[in-house]
Amino acid sequence: MTAEHAAVDRLRAIARDAGVTAWVHATRLTGPPGTVALDDVTPVAVASLYKLPLALVWADLVVAGTVAADQPVRLAAGARTPGPTGVAMLLDDVTLTARDAVRLMLAVSDNACGDAVLALVGLERVHAWLAGLGLPASLVRQGSAEETRAVLADTGTDDWAAAQRALADPDRAVRTSQYDPALASAATAAQLGEVLRILWSRRSPAHDLVRDAMAHQAWRHRVGSGFPHDDVLLLGKTGSLGLLRHEAAVVRFPHEHPVGVVVLTRSARPERHLPRVDAAVGELARTGVGPLRLADDGALSPGPAD
Amino acid sequence: MAPGYAPDVDLLKHLGFFRAVADTRHFGDAAADLGMTQPPLSQGVRRLERYLGVRLFDRDARGVRITAAGRRLLPPTRDLLDAADDLVAAARDLAVPEQVRLGVAADLEEVAPGLVRTLVAGGTAVAPTVAGSVELVDLLREGLLDVGVVRHPGVLDGLTAGPVLVLPTALVLPEATVLPEARGRAGGGPAGVPGACRGLGGLTLPVAVPPRRHQPAAHDQLVDALRRAGHSGAVVEARDAAQRAALVAAGSAAGVVPAAAGSTAPGGPDGSAPAQLPPGPPLRVRVALPHSGRRRPEVDHDAVSGVLEAALETVAGAAGAAR
Repeated sequence: MTAEHAAVDRLRAIARDAGVTAWVHATRLTGPPGTVALDDVTPVAVASLYKLPLALVWADLVVAGTVAADQPVRLAAGARTPGPTGVAMLLDDVTLTARDAVRLMLAVSDNACGDAVLALVGLERVHAWLAGLGLPASLVRQGSAEETRAVLADTGTDDWAAAQRALADPDRAVRTSQYDPALASAATAAQLGEVLRILWSRRSPAHDLVRDAMAHQAWRHRVGSGFPHDDVLLLGKTGSLGLLRHEAAVVRFPHEHPVGVVVLTRSARPERHLPRVDAAVGELARTGVGPLRLADDGALSPGPAD
Repeated sequence: MAPGYAPDVDLLKHLGFFRAVADTRHFGDAAADLGMTQPPLSQGVRRLERYLGVRLFDRDARGVRITAAGRRLLPPTRDLLDAADDLVAAARDLAVPEQVRLGVAADLEEVAPGLVRTLVAGGTAVAPTVAGSVELVDLLREGLLDVGVVRHPGVLDGLTAGPVLVLPTALVLPEATVLPEARGRAGGGPAGVPGACRGLGGLTLPVAVPPRRHQPAAHDQLVDALRRAGHSGAVVEARDAAQRAALVAAGSAAGVVPAAAGSTAPGGPDGSAPAQLPPGPPLRVRVALPHSGRRRPEVDHDAVSGVLEAALETVAGAAGAAR
């Protein structure tokens, strides 16, 4: 049995022990090809992970000259998508540049900035660009405002806090269309791995700032919990909604080929705070990345995000 | 005569004649045993002898004697007839109304036999399996169970499941363990929430629970609920209900049992009424079925799950009313 096969068995065991369904895709981004996969061709609702392909498309369009990175974006207090972080949780009007909106959308999963960037690029242009990259339009089916509206409607609530309480009710099995890959932004773990691969291959200031924002992601409790090493660079983007706890990340050990890892999970427990499941995402990532670690003797120079 | 073709021989029937005559050594008695008259029996044996090409019996004035050839052919005749009986019996088993292959989570303790009794009382034949919920889910996916009552929350990929049913539980304390008054303790919470698990800050014993691997998510949820109520969350994983009860009897752990089961516990040794047991974290279950395309057509899955859910609702309701 190869190390990759043993890793897949281990991934199944970790998922079972944590009480989650897991979809995993880990792949070496440079050097000889190598992949560890667990159910990585099954479409899964990705929640806020839509912001990752959106950022890639935005940066590509900056390079193409279609959008300007420093274009001002006005986010009026009463006219932006609310959310728990970033501009979305502020009280007053905010004006920033498009590239700062992209950075907040990635570093703290800012819903207001995510929807602003999506409006800036335009859903149809995002879909056309994704198609050109060989990626499905479903990666960005909608923004955060649409997702929020659907969850409120499905749970019969009128604010986000009440909707979250409804989704977290331990005495009911509450469903929402936003768990359904046919209705929400959705992708397979392999497709998100391809997004990481393309993002890693791009050379431009716009792509640099996207990678840098991912390196500054505010939380390290999921994939990051599997790599508690200060010298290991982690560029990640999480996605969370109810039972869904996802992260797509690039893991870069010094002097090794970078490895992209996508861990998508749906937990059996509905509660909002499940540190054990977040830790399982880290363990799944570490288990997937482990067999792919490979010294990169030829590349002593720092990678594009360093 | 071509081998295998004998229009006037019914091989199994006529071998049955041969066996009956060999056992009784009398055509008249054999015919009586077979519920027929002697002439067709004699004619059948003669046809068999002609077909096989050997004499099976010598008949003379003193009666019937089995020939050497007959003695040689009697054992394989018995084997063939026994095998035919087995085949018919096996077919009968397949033809009787189907048993419902029911899986019940081992963690349900005394609730499990009650569920089976309810189905049987309704005229449903049941082949029960009691096991950990993860194992039951695997069996349901593999098509080896028709319906399962599993602990919630747990991964149910590939199955469909009914609503979450919440069964209240009671803490069972070793004799002479007195739980201090909850008021004022951390985890006490507001009074007046009937059935809520709270005020376990004074309970220093670990809690005996089913093995975590039975349903890891439900186990973790229970430990979190114990901690929320002020308990340390220390648990002892015990393989079955008897082991858990023994740990409680030994004074080394508290137990958590479905309230319906706990409330039937006998009173004190002096015949006193059973003490009111403090509530524990609830036990949540769901009735799980294979997807509609993967169900055995001979089982009425919806009816069975309806009966099970109603029975579980009754358990939940009775326990709730008792509080």
